[in-house]
Amino acid sequence: MSTTSTEESKMTRETQETLLEVDDLKTYYEDGGLLNSNPVKAVDGVSFEITRGETLGLVGESGCGKSTLGRTLMRLEEATAGEVKLNGTDITTLSGADLKQFRNDVQMVFQDPDSSLNERMTVGEIIREPLDVHDWKTPDERRARVRELLETVGLQEEHYYRYPHQFSGGQRQRIGIARALALEPEFIILDEPVSALDVSVQAKILNLLEDLQNEFGLTYLFIAHDLAVVRHICDRVAVMYLGNIMEIGPADEMFESPANPYTHALLSSIPEPDPTVARDRITLRGTPPSPRDPPAGCPFSTRCPVKIRPDQYTDLDDDVWERIEVFREVLRERSRAELSLSDRVRKLIGRETVQAGMDDTLTELFGGLSVPVSVMDHLKEAADYAENGDEDAARAYLREEFGSVCDSERPDQLGVGDRGRLSLCHRHDEQYDEPAAVFETLVQ
Amino acid sequence: MSTQTETEIPLRQRVAENPQPALVWAAIGAVLVGVELGAILQVVVAIGGVIVNLVPGDPGAALVTSLQESLKGIPTLVSREFIPNQGYWNGSEWVGTFLGLSPGQAWAVRFVVVYAYAFAVLGWLWDGYKRYRQYYRRADWTPRDDVVNRFRGHTWGQFGLVITIAFVVMAVFAPALGPTTMEQNILQPYDYEINYFDEESQTVETALVGEANIGSGSQGAGDENVAPMTYDDYGRFHPFGTATNGKDLFTQVVFGARISLTIATVAMGIAGIIGLSLAMITAYYKGLADLAIVLASDSIQALPVIMVLILMLVIFQNTWVRDLYDGAVLIILIFSLVYWPFIWRSIRGPAFQVSEQDWIDAAKSFGQTPGQVMRKHMAPYVFSYMLIYASLSLGGIIISVAGLSYLGLGITAPTPEWGRLIADGQQYVASPSWHISLIPGVLITLVVTGLNAFGDGIRDAIDPQADTGDEAAATGGGA
Ligand code: SF4
Repeated sequence: MSTTSTEESKMTRETQETLLEVDDLKTYYEDGGLLNSNPVKAVDGVSFEITRGETLGLVGESGCGKSTLGRTLMRLEEATAGEVKLNGTDITTLSGADLKQFRNDVQMVFQDPDSSLNERMTVGEIIREPLDVHDWKTPDERRARVRELLETVGLQEEHYYRYPHQFSGGQRQRIGIARALALEPEFIILDEPVSALDVSVQAKILNLLEDLQNEFGLTYLFIAHDLAVVRHICDRVAVMYLGNIMEIGPADEMFESPANPYTHALLSSIPEPDPTVARDRITLRGTPPSPRDPPAGCPFSTRCPVKIRPDQYTDLDDDVWERIEVFREVLRERSRAELSLSDRVRKLIGRETVQAGMDDTLTELFGGLSVPVSVMDHLKEAADYAENGDEDAARAYLREEFGSVCDSERPDQLGVGDRGRLSLCHRHDEQYDEPAAVFETLVQ
Repeated sequence: MSTQTETEIPLRQRVAENPQPALVWAAIGAVLVGVELGAILQVVVAIGGVIVNLVPGDPGAALVTSLQESLKGIPTLVSREFIPNQGYWNGSEWVGTFLGLSPGQAWAVRFVVVYAYAFAVLGWLWDGYKRYRQYYRRADWTPRDDVVNRFRGHTWGQFGLVITIAFVVMAVFAPALGPTTMEQNILQPYDYEINYFDEESQTVETALVGEANIGSGSQGAGDENVAPMTYDDYGRFHPFGTATNGKDLFTQVVFGARISLTIATVAMGIAGIIGLSLAMITAYYKGLADLAIVLASDSIQALPVIMVLILMLVIFQNTWVRDLYDGAVLIILIFSLVYWPFIWRSIRGPAFQVSEQDWIDAAKSFGQTPGQVMRKHMAPYVFSYMLIYASLSLGGIIISVAGLSYLGLGITAPTPEWGRLIADGQQYVASPSWHISLIPGVLITLVVTGLNAFGDGIRDAIDPQADTGDEAAATGGGA
C-alpha cells in the first residue's frame, strides 16, 4: 500500500495535479437573535488551490476565520456560498453515499489532544471507529490495521487497551493522527496540531507528519497561528485576515519578502531567528474589526500602516495621519458598542485618561501635534456629529474626506513575482508604491 | 503482560488460560444458586405460565401447574417452608416452627438468613468484578476504576448504598420476610384458619385469621394494643406490632416497600430514558429542537406536581387504567410525565458541555451517524449525572406516593402502602399504639436519606472537584 501511494505521489507531484480547488467560499453564521443583526462573516470569499502532495499553511491571528475555513472544507460547517472541489467534485452539496465517500477521503487532526479523544474509549476503539463506521474489511483485519497504525505513528501495540488518560499530550496527538490515517485518506486538515503541545514535543510531531506525508503521499492543509512552525513544514502559505486570504504563495519567498502589508506586519511580530538580519518591528494598533461588520474596502484598511492616502494628504505629517486613523477607529468602536469611550482611547493610544467627551478626545489625540487648520476643521465637524450621537454620520464624513481607494474598493488578488504569489492589496497596482517600499520609508 | 497475540484473545480463552480464579468464583456462585434453586425455577416456570396463558386454548396449562407443584418439593434456603415461623403452642412446646423455636425466634432466624443471603450474593458479584479486573480484563486501568475507587473511599455514599440495598432486599424478599403472608393475613383473612392455644381451656383451638385479627388490633388502649416485638392473644408474633385492624404491620411494611420502590424506580427509569434521549437530541442538534423542548418542559414544570397527580387520579378514578397493579401503573405514568423535564433540565448542561468536545467533531468528520455519536460519545458522560439526579429524586417520589395514599388517592386498599399506614395510625400517635404511624414514617425518612447519601456518593465519585456540582449543573441547565 505504502509503496504504490509513494509512487503515486511522486508522479502527481510532477504533474502538479490539483487536489482541492476552493472558489469564492463564504461561511456566514446567522446566530444573532436581535433584529437586523448582521451575520458573522467568518470566511468571506476565499479562493485557492492545493496541489496533490503539497502542504499549504493557513495562518492568521485567532478569530481570522482559519479554523472555520478548515471546518467548512471538512463539512463540519455548511458553506454559505462558493465551491469546494475535491478531485473536481463540488463537496459543499454532497449528501448520502457521496458524503460518506468524502468522509473517507478527507480527515482532520484536531488542535487539543485532550478534547479530541473520547476518554471513555480505549485507544484501540478510538482508532478503530472510523474503520467500523465505513465497514472496512473484517473486524479481525480492522484490529490488525489498528495495531499497524499504532506502530506507524510511533506507539506500541500494547497501547491498544489503554485509555487516553494514560498518555502524554504528544502521545495523544499521535493517537489522533493514527485515527486520521485509518481510512487511508488523501487529504488531511491539520488544525493547529502542535500548538497545544510542549515545544520539545512539537518538533517530533512535525517530523512524524512530514514522514507520513512522504510515506503515504498525503496532502495537508496546515492551520496554524505560529509562523515559525509553518515555515518549517509548508510548501506554500496562505495568510488570512478577517475572513480573507491576504496573501498566498511559496513559503520561502513569502518569508523572505512579504508582499502584502498584513503579512509584513505579521512577520515583523515574530522574533527573527537569525539575529544578524535586522528587521524593524511594526506593531499594529487596535484590534481587527468585527467580522459582522467588515470594512467596505480592503479588510485590512482599518489597521494598515501603509494605507494609501488621498492625494491632498500625501504630505501630511505621519503622526497626524496616524491619529486621524485612530480617531476613525474610536468612532467605529463607539458605534459598535456603547462602551466607555475613554476606555477605548486609553487603550488605543496607551494613555491614562478620565471620562472624556468628543472635544476632549480630539485634544487627547491631537493636542501635542501641529495639525493643519483645514484638517482640524474636518475633525471638529465629525466630532460634532458624534457628539450628537450620530457616529455613522461622523464616520461617513471622515471616510469622505480622508478615505482612499483602500476604504472604498475591495482590492483584487494581484500577482506578485513569477511563482504564483497573490496578494490582496491596491498597492500592487502600478499607480501606487509597493508596500515594501512604503514600509522602508516608515521605519526610517 | 500484553503482547500482540494476547490482545486478540477472546474472553473465553483468557479464562481458559488461567481458570482458577474463575472456577472458584463459579463454584461459590453454584452454591448460592443451588440453595435457591427451587425459587429460581419457580420464577422461571411462572414466567413460562404467563407465556402459556397468552397462547390461545391454554395448551400447556396443565403441564405448568403440575410443574409448579413438583417444584414446591425442592427445598430452598430462603423460604417460609424451610424456616417456618407460624406455629402454635400446644401447652408444652411449639408445634410447626423451625426447630421448635418460638415463632419470634424462628422469624428472626429467617430474617437474618434472608439478609445474609442477599449480601452474600452481592458480595459474590463484587468479587466477580474484582476477579475480572485483576485476572481477565485486557485494560489494566479504565476511567471507571477511578470512580469505583473514589466511591470505596466515600463513607457517606457507602452508608447510602447499604441503606438502599437493605430496602431493595426488603422489597425483593418481601414474601419471605413477613412473619405471615399477604394472602393469609391481609387479603383473604377469612379463607384461612390458624391454631392457637387457649389459655382458659388449656387446649388448642382453631380460629379464622380474620377473627383473630379483630381481636388483636392496636387502637391505643392498653389491652387493645399489640406493640412491636410482642405476641398477640393468638400466639402470633408481630415484629412491628399490629395495625389498627389487627393485621401484621411488618408484613404490610415490607410489601409497602415493594410497591413504593417499584413505583419510584420504574417512574424514574421512564423519566430518565425520556430525559436522557431528549438531552442528547437537544445537545446534538441545538437550536430549534432545544427551544421546542425548553417550551414543553417549562410548561410541564409550571404545573404543581401534587395538583396534577391528584387531578389525574381523580379523573381516572373509575377507569381500567386506575385498576392496573392497584393503581401503581397510573401513578408511574403520571410521575414519568411530570419528572422527565426535571431530569432533562438537570443533565442538559452537562450534555451541552460534552457536545462541545472535539471528539464529537472528530466522530462527525469521519462520518459517524448522529445516533451513534449520541450513544457512544455523549451519553456515557451524561449518564452518571442522570444517576445522581435520579437517586436524589427517587426519595421525592416515594414521599409523594406516600402522601397520595395518605390522602386516600394513591394505591388502592387493601394493598399496603406506607402513606396509608401513617394515615391509619395518625390518631394513635400519642397513645401506646404509636408504632403504626411512626415506624413507616421512620422508614420513609431512612430510605430517602439513604438514597440521597447514595446520590452524593456517586456525585463525588464521578467528579471529585465539583462539590456543588448539582446546583451548578441545574442552573446551567436553566440558561
Ligand atoms: S489595500 Fe490599502 S489598506 Fe489594504 S493592505 Fe493594501 S495598502 Fe493596506
